[in-house]
Amino acid sequence: MLLSQVFHEIEKKIITSLRDNPKQTPESLEKSTQLLPDQIRRGIEWLRLKELAIVTESQSSVISLGKNGLESLQKGLPERRLLELLKTGPKKLSDLQKELGFVFGPSMGLARKNNWVEASSDQISIKNPPSELPGEKTLKLVGNEKISKDKLDDADLSGLLKRPDFIIEDVIKSKEISLSDSAKSMELSDTTGEIDVEAKVPEVFVARTHPLKDTIDEIREIFVTLGFSEIFGNMTQSSFWNFDALFTPQDHPARELQDTFYLDKINAKKIGTSEQIKKVSESHKKNWRYQWDINEAKKMVLRTHTTCVTIKHLAENKPDEARIFSLGRVFRNEKVSYKHLVEFNQIEGVVIGKDASLRNLMGIQREFYKRIGITKIKFWPTFFPYTEPSLQTMVYNEKLGKWIELFGMGIFRPEVTKPLGITKPVLAWGGGIERIAMLKYDLDDVREFYNNNLGWLRSATKCQ
Amino acid sequence: MPVVELSYTRLQKLVGKVSKKQISDSLPFLGLDIESEDKDLVRIEYSPNRPDYSTDFGIALGLQGLLGIKTGTVKLNIKKSNKFPIFVKSGVSKIRPFVAGIVAKNGKIDDKTIKQLMTMQEDLHFGIGRKRKKSSIGIHDLDKISFPLVYTTTNRNHKFIPLNSEQEIPISEILVNTDVGKDYGSLLGQSPHVPIIFDKNQNTVSFPPIINAAITTVTTKTKNLFVEVTGINKDDAEDMLAVVATILQTAGFTLESVKISGMKNSTPKLEQKKISVNSSLINQILGLNLNPTKIISSLKKSRLDAFSKGANIVCTIPAYRFDIFGPMDLVEEVALGYGIQNLEPILSPSQTIGKTNPVSLQLKSLDQTMIGLGYLEALNSSLTSKRVLYDMVNRDSSKIISVLDSKSQEHTILRDSILPGLIENLSRNIHESYPQKMFETGTVFTLEDPISEKINCSGISAHKDANFTEIKSVIQSALKIGFGIQIETKTTTNPTFEEGHCASIIFNNVPIGIIGKINSKIIENYKIRVPVVGFEISLSESILKNQN
Repeated sequence: MLLSQVFHEIEKKIITSLRDNPKQTPESLEKSTQLLPDQIRRGIEWLRLKELAIVTESQSSVISLGKNGLESLQKGLPERRLLELLKTGPKKLSDLQKELGFVFGPSMGLARKNNWVEASSDQISIKNPPSELPGEKTLKLVGNEKISKDKLDDADLSGLLKRPDFIIEDVIKSKEISLSDSAKSMELSDTTGEIDVEAKVPEVFVARTHPLKDTIDEIREIFVTLGFSEIFGNMTQSSFWNFDALFTPQDHPARELQDTFYLDKINAKKIGTSEQIKKVSESHKKNWRYQWDINEAKKMVLRTHTTCVTIKHLAENKPDEARIFSLGRVFRNEKVSYKHLVEFNQIEGVVIGKDASLRNLMGIQREFYKRIGITKIKFWPTFFPYTEPSLQTMVYNEKLGKWIELFGMGIFRPEVTKPLGITKPVLAWGGGIERIAMLKYDLDDVREFYNNNLGWLRSATKCQ
Repeated sequence: MPVVELSYTRLQKLVGKVSKKQISDSLPFLGLDIESEDKDLVRIEYSPNRPDYSTDFGIALGLQGLLGIKTGTVKLNIKKSNKFPIFVKSGVSKIRPFVAGIVAKNGKIDDKTIKQLMTMQEDLHFGIGRKRKKSSIGIHDLDKISFPLVYTTTNRNHKFIPLNSEQEIPISEILVNTDVGKDYGSLLGQSPHVPIIFDKNQNTVSFPPIINAAITTVTTKTKNLFVEVTGINKDDAEDMLAVVATILQTAGFTLESVKISGMKNSTPKLEQKKISVNSSLINQILGLNLNPTKIISSLKKSRLDAFSKGANIVCTIPAYRFDIFGPMDLVEEVALGYGIQNLEPILSPSQTIGKTNPVSLQLKSLDQTMIGLGYLEALNSSLTSKRVLYDMVNRDSSKIISVLDSKSQEHTILRDSILPGLIENLSRNIHESYPQKMFETGTVFTLEDPISEKINCSGISAHKDANFTEIKSVIQSALKIGFGIQIETKTTTNPTFEEGHCASIIFNNVPIGIIGKINSKIIENYKIRVPVVGFEISLSESILKNQN
């Protein structure tokens, strides 16, 4: 048994009309259903896709009368006029010629050929004409209208077709709509009947936030609930804040062109207060033993970490007690590959306060990982130029069966904090977000996040 | 991070009674990452601040400490000697003024040791040597050299047989024709004179910081070594020497001093230094409560020596540990000796209340609105190419912001607009079903004092019936629902858009963006087969409030 389906009001009207009158054109459906041409067009298309309506497209000829045809309709065919003149008795050829004008020749030829008239010397007399001459039936049927060719007698029409300007034949395309067998008896009510709930339905695409953005938002949310407040900072920074203020010497390999994006011919106008510049440069000269150059510090770079944003904030605000974080894009001049991007997102957070200790820092990390669903973690010592002690988190990835390095952390070196007037210990941690998102979305190629490949964006499942 | 390749069996011999597993378990807790393992071989990444870990000898010292096999400092036993003098001449003062050196005798040198010494040399050059600029090192076969030596200058026509060569080559040619010459020749500047070390018979020993002479090449037959370090700073040269001396002593050599004089040069002392640290600082920073005895034993495991003096711990630091600047570094040494794995994380309640930045909240609300309107969020890099940002979309590229020496051609300039990236995205999705609707919110950059960063939002819609009305409805609703603001549009022309289908977006009588149908030529060039409409607005000036 075929289950009934849910129909649109338009579809119902069309089906109902076709049940009354099985073969119709769109135009006749318009009249019978009182729908707009566009509604009819859509309704027919829907029904056709459901295989409920059959649409036959056909070509047909339409016949109407031309100039001479219309004249003959009014006055009779020329041969009829000839015969009418002879009804009252035989007539002279020259008189007939005068009476009928230029149609006399063709009509006389036709009448003699068919033995409707007889000629002796110059007298023409009627012989035995039929009551209806060939072509008269067609003329009468067509009249002033347009008539489909197949409603006419072909033989009767053919004579007229040969005559100039008698008949106009137009070819027109037309659609004929009829119902399929199943539609003829189908239940139209959508409340009483059952529908085919197992039928396949078309796929629709969801508009959504970017999967990477979801991860970023999730991480932001976690740190806000852990008491951290979000700060913003520029992606373009002076080398002073990106490197010098973080105790990275000016001749350090990380500052070279091959690792860092420097902006072409762009230098910072003001990099910090004179006090900050003086103290930072002194710390460099004393500890790293080289000639510190302010021009080097003025070079603008695309930030290599968000740490420059947090350190600048601390230098400007010098809080005694604070938890802050900064989240955004950072840049590295690397060859793009499945595991490296030139631009990726980083989160960076700091804690200042009397309880700030390395174990606290580890505790915050452990809590964060727990909330993103990672419970197997450990800490290893590592090295960063601006923190001491420094640790990195290793998390165990079940799928890869190995430990992966995630966030780095440490306590800002006194060589970083003292010159900037920060007196309390500062715990700092941070790391890349794409790495976490790759684990969540099970991606092998980090580039996918920035490809904007609709195939992936439309199908990637949201992660919780 | 530099990498060193080691053999487990060799390490076991050097460390003492340990299993392979004990070694591989302990390495990460010295701050050494195992990069890869292949049976007996293990590749290890170490931090550039610990050049002593560039050889297995140095790593063995660290492991002995951590595993409690041998603790405390490694003392250098340098026999004072007058047999190996170096005289420094005035010519070097302006080029590379300092030299330091040491003699190491009676060692056994096998292939593996040579390989370890070569890696150490390269890593010292790259790291603390700053690519040989600050200091550089030469290791020679002592027995091929007749003392006294002189550290002086020579002209660029001087010839000698350099390492890995069989014939005499003039210095000017070494600088042009060899890899090291090409890489480091620029360190010597344009001076007609270059630094050189001659022996008693005027034979060239070394041409610092470029290359040694072939005659002093170290082979497996070498018994005794002469090491020289030259540099632009005496302390840096001696730091480097301290690492080499410590490693060679650990490798079984006995050390003898090289006597250096002239032009402010003197014999390096390679002395230990003392730094005090308050034990309460250690406990505060680590979140522990260790007594002085435990602190001292932890420091010893980190191969330092220490004793307590009141509340202070006085620490003795060997010369090769120049990464230790002050008390905070000692806190880390305590943590490492104590064992990072023994530090239990604690979560203390937050004293502060967290807050999302208001800008983030406003952007999020705009995102939600755009999604409600059926737009999918896209993300593109801020760094893009001139082709995508300007050329393909007919935009004026006169105020371009470029980065220097990008390794990727697709990432050479900073975007000042988001829309061009979205149009390019469409071109990579022509096989996907339509309609395609995307939006992106992000930072754009313009030249202004020196660079201004603002947040823009752009949206794009592509399908066969896409038109101006549709996209105007979208931005109008988005701004009304997202921010409660009403915009107008005013006819304009823009080369990215189709003439007669383009308008400025006006808010409070100020233009804040552009909207319209994308120029059909652009669409055609991108091989997109449906009409595209889009907009871009600046959110920073008029819409977003309270940044920070």
